[in-house]
Amino acid sequence: MNDITEILGINFVVIGPTLSLLFTTLVLLFCTITISTPLYVKKYISFLGILLTIFTIFLKFGLFASGGVTSFFSEKILLDEFSLVGNVLIGLVLLLTFNSFWKTSEVIDNKTTEALILILMSASGFLLMVDAENFIMLFIGLEIGSISLYALAGLNRGDQLSNEASLKYFLLGSLASCIFIYGVALLYVSLSISGVYETSIAISFIGPDNVPLTSLIGLIMILVGLLFKVAAAPFQAWAPDVYQGSPTGYVGYMAAVAKAASFIVLARLSAISLRFILDKFDLFFTAIVILSVLAGALFATNQTDIKRLIAYSGVIQSGFILSGISFGVYGISASIFYLITYIIQLIGVFTVFSIISGQLSSDFKISNLSGLFKENKFLTITFSIFMLGIAGLPLTSGFVSKFILITNLWSYEKYLIVTVLMLTTVAGFYFYLRPIWVAAIEKTDNSIEKIKISISDKVLLGFMAALTIYFGLLPNTLVNITRWMVENYL
Amino acid sequence: MTGIIISLLVVPLFSALLVFMIPNSRKEIFRPIGIIFSLITLTQCFYLLLSDYGKTKFVILSSYKWIQSYGLEISLGISGMSTLLLLLTSLLVCVSLLSIGNEHAESKGFIGSLLALHFAINGVFISGDLISLFIFFEALLIPMYFLMGIWGGENRRYATIKFILYTVFGSVFIFIGTVYTAVISYGANGALAVDFDSLSNLTLTSSQSKTLFLLFTFGFLIKVPIFPLHTWLPDAHVEAPTAGSILLAGVLLKVGAYGILRVSIPFFTEGFLAYKNFVAVLSVIGIIYGAIVAIAQIDIKKLIAYSSVSHMGYVMLGISAGGYLSIEGAIIQMINHGITAGALFMLVGFLYERRHTRNISSFGGIKITMPRYAAIFLFTSFASIGLPGLNGFVGEFMILMGSFNSYKVLTSIAAFGVVLAAIYMLWAYQRIFTGPISNVKNESLKDLDTRETLSIVPLVLLMLFIGIYPSYIESFVIQEAGFISETIALFKDIK
Repeated sequence: MNDITEILGINFVVIGPTLSLLFTTLVLLFCTITISTPLYVKKYISFLGILLTIFTIFLKFGLFASGGVTSFFSEKILLDEFSLVGNVLIGLVLLLTFNSFWKTSEVIDNKTTEALILILMSASGFLLMVDAENFIMLFIGLEIGSISLYALAGLNRGDQLSNEASLKYFLLGSLASCIFIYGVALLYVSLSISGVYETSIAISFIGPDNVPLTSLIGLIMILVGLLFKVAAAPFQAWAPDVYQGSPTGYVGYMAAVAKAASFIVLARLSAISLRFILDKFDLFFTAIVILSVLAGALFATNQTDIKRLIAYSGVIQSGFILSGISFGVYGISASIFYLITYIIQLIGVFTVFSIISGQLSSDFKISNLSGLFKENKFLTITFSIFMLGIAGLPLTSGFVSKFILITNLWSYEKYLIVTVLMLTTVAGFYFYLRPIWVAAIEKTDNSIEKIKISISDKVLLGFMAALTIYFGLLPNTLVNITRWMVENYL
Repeated sequence: MTGIIISLLVVPLFSALLVFMIPNSRKEIFRPIGIIFSLITLTQCFYLLLSDYGKTKFVILSSYKWIQSYGLEISLGISGMSTLLLLLTSLLVCVSLLSIGNEHAESKGFIGSLLALHFAINGVFISGDLISLFIFFEALLIPMYFLMGIWGGENRRYATIKFILYTVFGSVFIFIGTVYTAVISYGANGALAVDFDSLSNLTLTSSQSKTLFLLFTFGFLIKVPIFPLHTWLPDAHVEAPTAGSILLAGVLLKVGAYGILRVSIPFFTEGFLAYKNFVAVLSVIGIIYGAIVAIAQIDIKKLIAYSSVSHMGYVMLGISAGGYLSIEGAIIQMINHGITAGALFMLVGFLYERRHTRNISSFGGIKITMPRYAAIFLFTSFASIGLPGLNGFVGEFMILMGSFNSYKVLTSIAAFGVVLAAIYMLWAYQRIFTGPISNVKNESLKDLDTRETLSIVPLVLLMLFIGIYPSYIESFVIQEAGFISETIALFKDIK
């Protein structure tokens, strides 16, 4: 029996985080259908589940320290630096967004448990996705995660925009999934491979120049499927509508978790699977990066809805992150740094929105921020810090991440991309400063009455703002972590 | 000494935070706190000035590891020019805190932003590497954004956005230049070392040097500002509150020239030699153009703003001539212009607080109601024009004399700027102060009170002091100007 376990590589620690989240959802489900459980018990159950997940993530670190990079479950699940960082990132997203999605679930009528189950389920899917070595496994994780998110977007049934968001996300997301799985199929047909490492081994075996066109197309389709999830142009069309329509309290989680998981997978593909043929994708990636930042900046300039503005800014940030991922290993470490700092700012921004506008609202105009500073100084200051961080002003983490990224791109001699990225940064100041202007500077008779912020929200916002400043002043630790991630793939 | 350097950052930042912490019910103590802390910084600057480092070229005093795996360090240092500019900054912050009306002085946001601005400016002048220089250069924008945005004039939104976008657009070039330098330095040293010590040992090819010079200088020239990139300045000045204008004209414009002297010329000398004629032509156009446009202005603040364009043109002319005397003159002119322009903006602020207009035509004959004010204004105007015996003369004379060898025609044209300056300043004085009182509202104007007099007098005394004893201030920049001009001369010889 032991032999079989060893041969198949069955090890439950390595999928511990996924399992513990699934277990939590089962407990929640059980509580709902059997006995009538009070709400606060459900809150504790889900929070304990998240803590358990984080504990199991630490166990994985122990496993990694003893065994190094290993495959499990007959090469379906991979334990490497990317999966560890991905796990930690998803755990972090769950922790940071717990407060806002709990509050949203609390007020959403009669659907508290469904909402929690959907969220935990999607997180378990994305955890599986960053752990997957096999593309089919990756697809399963992606689908578990995405389908939960489609439902989450439309959870506020009475709201037309929410329904629209859900349907749009579902239709376009399924299309992207189709493209992804078609790409996997093409790859399998042409080279009989379907794994991250298998791909690189096969390519090095037949030689980078002899890779059949079919498998190149397959790889591009796989990339497109993932790029859709991070809303890189031209696959960004869903993002503004989904951000705008979904219940505000969920958007921070939805945006952050999908971006985190997909970018980690993209980084791994670039570092391992495509390492010998990365130059063949040069044009593809360059086009996507430039399109993303230009389209994002162009559309963000005249948005009146702030959630749409953040969505388009997300398109720009995706372009930035992708630019590092697509050209080499040190670029990947810069991108991961960018990803981590950006996710913190993104969650921060949406936490502020959900506090101001109420958890369920879908519409949130920039003008709704008018007069915020008068009574809500703390909210305005943290909001400004996050926005300046996204804009990339020095003294915030946004500047450091842009600096590292641009330095790497310059050393890869990608001058065109650097130029476009920097011009976008300038344009960005125009639309990132506008909400700050409306909230803090503009003289107006409007005043938003004092919003009561719970202590937990205050601590979370303060923590995220402090992290944004901290990584801007002393980025050394995080840079070292991201460098450690890629050191083995040089 | 390192402690003092760091406290130049810590004290203003701490005071800004302190002001933000104090509850609004104690609003009368915001101003005293700001003044006390800027006086502390002022004392520290004096100490620095009289120490060994007050007269040297740039020395790095302390370095801190910033991002180890990239070999990036944050370095802080000091030089004669930096010390003078730091001193000017603290002085201007101090007197502008004293000069502002109660409406601004009782707002913690205003005082806090001003002190935060002080922090960022200090940071620029003591940074010993490109990264921290860039960080502080950009960080200036945040307090300036709030100062102009919240307490600015009618059209502040347009002016603020224009100011921010211009500066950010310029700093993108500095950013790319920094990145490029870092990558070159990585090839040579194995680390992204961009501190000024390792940069001076870096050997660059001709094309690298030229590209880098263009990148950095373009960014800095927007800040100076040089013709035709000056259009943000009049708008920003008109819309900024008085204290903002004082610091904008007094120090922020110097940041650009400082950057060129500190970074562009010593490290990218070959690029400088290739493009200096171009810069010189632009600065002479700026001198004449700024002066002519200033004559036509009806708004006093706009008039002084355009006069700043003209005066900073002299600085750039002196720098691009590249001789020992002209560079020394440029540095001294930077200090002088900081004092006079700061004083002029403060004076206009006093008038604006009384009448809430800056239109020249709504005044006339107010010498009768405000004799003390009129006397100080006339004195400052003379200093600004460059009357011998006052500070304005020293810098402009040295620049014109130093540049004449390199640019005979250009310098001759630039000399006409002095005449034009006399026209716009004196004509404005005539229209505002002399003659009978033309507007009834001006009959009841109050003269300067003690607080206002006290805030302008230090600047007036300095104008006089530098005017009659220029060799004292010169002694602090001799070494630095010598170093920069020698670098240029050495490069010419090599070629």
